[in-house]
Amino acid sequence: MLEIQDLKVNVAGKPILTGLTLQVRAGEVHAIMGPNGSGKSTLAHVLAGRDGYDVVGGSVLFDGANLLELATEERAVRGIFLAMQYPVELPGVSTMVFLREAFNAQRRARGEVELDAVEFIQRVRDKAKAMQMDDALLKRSVNTGFSGGEKKRNEILQMSLFEPKLAILDETDSGLDIDALRIVADGVNALRSPQRATLIITHYPRLLDYIAPDHVHVLAKGRIVLSGDMALAKQLEVKGYTWIDQEVAA
Amino acid sequence: MTTTTQPRQWFLQLLQHAPGADADVALPWLRKARAHAADALAKLPLPDRKQEAWRYTNIDGLLQTNFTPSREELVALQAEDIESWLLEATQSYRVVFANGRFLPALSHFMNLPEGVVIGSVRQALSRDPHALAIWFGQTANHSDDVFTALNPALCNDGLYVHVKPGVTLARPIEVLYLNLEVDAPLLIQPRNVVVLERGARAQLLERYMSTGESNYFHNGVSEILLEDNASLTHLRLQQESRQAYHRQQSFLAQGAQSQYDFTNLSLGGKWARHDLQVRFQAEQAKCQTRGLYLVGDGQLQDHHLNILHTKPGNSSDHHYKGILYGKGRGVFDGRILVGKEAQHTSARLVNNNLLLSREAEIDTKPQLEIHADAVSCSHGTTVSQLDPEQLFYLRSRGIATSLATQLLCEGFAAEILTTLALPSVQGYANRIIQKLLHHVGDNREHIHYATATTQP
Repeated sequence: MLEIQDLKVNVAGKPILTGLTLQVRAGEVHAIMGPNGSGKSTLAHVLAGRDGYDVVGGSVLFDGANLLELATEERAVRGIFLAMQYPVELPGVSTMVFLREAFNAQRRARGEVELDAVEFIQRVRDKAKAMQMDDALLKRSVNTGFSGGEKKRNEILQMSLFEPKLAILDETDSGLDIDALRIVADGVNALRSPQRATLIITHYPRLLDYIAPDHVHVLAKGRIVLSGDMALAKQLEVKGYTWIDQEVAA
Repeated sequence: MTTTTQPRQWFLQLLQHAPGADADVALPWLRKARAHAADALAKLPLPDRKQEAWRYTNIDGLLQTNFTPSREELVALQAEDIESWLLEATQSYRVVFANGRFLPALSHFMNLPEGVVIGSVRQALSRDPHALAIWFGQTANHSDDVFTALNPALCNDGLYVHVKPGVTLARPIEVLYLNLEVDAPLLIQPRNVVVLERGARAQLLERYMSTGESNYFHNGVSEILLEDNASLTHLRLQQESRQAYHRQQSFLAQGAQSQYDFTNLSLGGKWARHDLQVRFQAEQAKCQTRGLYLVGDGQLQDHHLNILHTKPGNSSDHHYKGILYGKGRGVFDGRILVGKEAQHTSARLVNNNLLLSREAEIDTKPQLEIHADAVSCSHGTTVSQLDPEQLFYLRSRGIATSLATQLLCEGFAAEILTTLALPSVQGYANRIIQKLLHHVGDNREHIHYATATTQP
């Protein structure tokens, strides 16, 4: 589904990704771990099409198409969803209106039938309830005045509503308590299917206890330096990241 | 249509069209007002860039056009001709003006309560001129501004509302100022007089509209007098043609414990300026104004507030927001004066602007002049652009840039639209503004999209 080959990305002239290669097949859940500044968020942003990143080498294919040539919204309608680390506030933009515009934009672009207002609101309410998200939040402006945890929940609500082919979670777990972590994990697990894939970017292995990814990778200095399974995550939990640096240097 | 007349001549030439002295012969007060105005036109300083009040408001385009005062009554106009301009199912008292002249056949005041007069100034001049004489010129000041002085010299119609003490009007007064396309540019000079006596309550909806690309100069003056405990909710919606010049100077005087709640939606016109002067005459009155302006290529939207807290214990709150795109130009000049005796004044002035392009321009000038010490006053001004983070967020959810732009602009406007004076027309106002913002979002050349700053 996603094939990243030798991806090199600069930010303001400085190399951040230095030759990253990763393959994610449909049905798989991958976790990418790494110390701060290793390029984790850059990877997430480049995949979602945020501007300001200079791709200076390599390629990214998504379902066989050159992802890097597609506009951000085009990537979204093709099934890429990024749960953001710092979801932005949109004062005055009603959450329900936003969700419906996004949902229907994606459906329209895929030639699917749009949901009418009543059906849509019911669907959102059901999803929100499953996530123990307060109905009142849906009536407010997008993320405006939400707590950190509420913002993250809103990201997961969107993920479960849009049912993306490839969900990318950029440090969604940071700053969450155990209950919220479980909700995030439930959201990811509910989407697991042979047609979908998930890329979880995280600093901490804790979330992975609830998700059990198929593959775990360690990103350091802009490339993947180690790949393994949950055992690798466990190792990081005990030993931290410093030994990786030494290993890469060696 | 263009002329090289000197500015002073432009004003004086218009006086040729003044009603003959015999028309007002029975009304010495009106004759006097007209003579005074003519005098002022010859003497008052003409607007230029050196005057603070006109620093950012260029009147060259206006002075290059020869306008002729509107005289004809458009009697042929039928109800079905204007149907599309009227609000659906609005239960209101309706006053219609076409090219500045009152159209009784299209207006209706059924079931008007005792003690209320709604109609036109022209009617009042013939039916009950002495009542009008009491109010005419009472709150307006004709000696400062040459356009305001021009109004009484030539005015011969406008809205007249008089509500006697303690009367509440349950239905809003809907006023439609419709300007129809005619061959030569018209000068439309309404003079509006709205008087709410002690404890009276009313709602006023004013809409300024035009057909096609009508080219005219609307030079209106409104006098609004709220006596003690009176309350007026007022929504003004200006959606005139892209060729129209529009100046409206409103003078408001507020008695003790009176309340004025005003929303000003400025969406159309080529050159549009609204001045509001508020004078508190006693204590414990409240004045709230809200404004929203949308300005694009070839447009100027100009708002001036002059809030005179000369008495103690009154409160006023003013919040204007503007969205500017293409080469749109905006001016916001808000002044709050708190006099020496105006202790315990509470006043707030806020102006926020969203500049969508590099060529758009806003000149914003909030001024607080405080001469009393026990007051609570604040002001704030912001000028911002579309936030690339917000755009990215929306686009990353599959929403195209044009719709994302529209949603963000709507979000910016929501603060004004969700607290609209007259909630009954909220749906209507929202639809108009959505349509305009849809057009804005669809025209990428009018918008500059900044690049997000990146963090690795």
